[in-house]
Amino acid sequence: MHIHNYEKIWLVLAMLLIVAFISTVAYGATAMGVDMISDDEDTIDPGALDEDPRFADPRVEQVGEDEYEAYVVAQQYVFEPDPIEVPEGSTVTFYVTSRDVIHGFEIVGTNANAMVVPGEVSTFTVEFSEAGEYGVLCNEYCGDGHHVMEGSVTVVPEEEYDGGDE
Amino acid sequence: MSTETPKREIDHEEFDPKGTLALILIYFVILSILWVFMYFIEFLGNDLTVIG
Repeated sequence: MHIHNYEKIWLVLAMLLIVAFISTVAYGATAMGVDMISDDEDTIDPGALDEDPRFADPRVEQVGEDEYEAYVVAQQYVFEPDPIEVPEGSTVTFYVTSRDVIHGFEIVGTNANAMVVPGEVSTFTVEFSEAGEYGVLCNEYCGDGHHVMEGSVTVVPEEEYDGGDE
Repeated sequence: MSTETPKREIDHEEFDPKGTLALILIYFVILSILWVFMYFIEFLGNDLTVIG
């Protein structure tokens, strides 16, 4: 088979382009530390969240210097706690689960976006470097009140943080 | 009235599709620029990014 020189050029370029696309994603995952929503957590009984040490009382808990864990329960049609209050400059790991049906947990306008599946615990870590307020939306249709299902994450200046309890 | 068109046979290597090559190169350049914008600005710049 004879291939024209020009054809060789664009075949090679197309392959290089694919390699470049894959390497950027690999660069993001290694050098930039971009991660996926984890499904490492064991499954739990969505009907017994009230007996679960993490989800019986949805809350934000300090686990280290500038490190926090947020245990969030989604249900028709609210997120608990609301607002989720964390201090500026903190690294927060979210554990999100559902009491009833499939929900979504999307910190609006950001890459922090997870499905919330009953029985599963969606886990992800983000850094809040600036004070401010983020909206949280359910982005999986969950019933006739889906469109009003919202929450919020409030990032307060470090000195104003009171532990996150309402 | 008919005109005799001169015929010339050329082999595979003699014709260079320069226009096609130019179009493909432009297309690749556009793809690369869009990729940079999409990944580095739209995605990585869209804080908060999941890091764990």
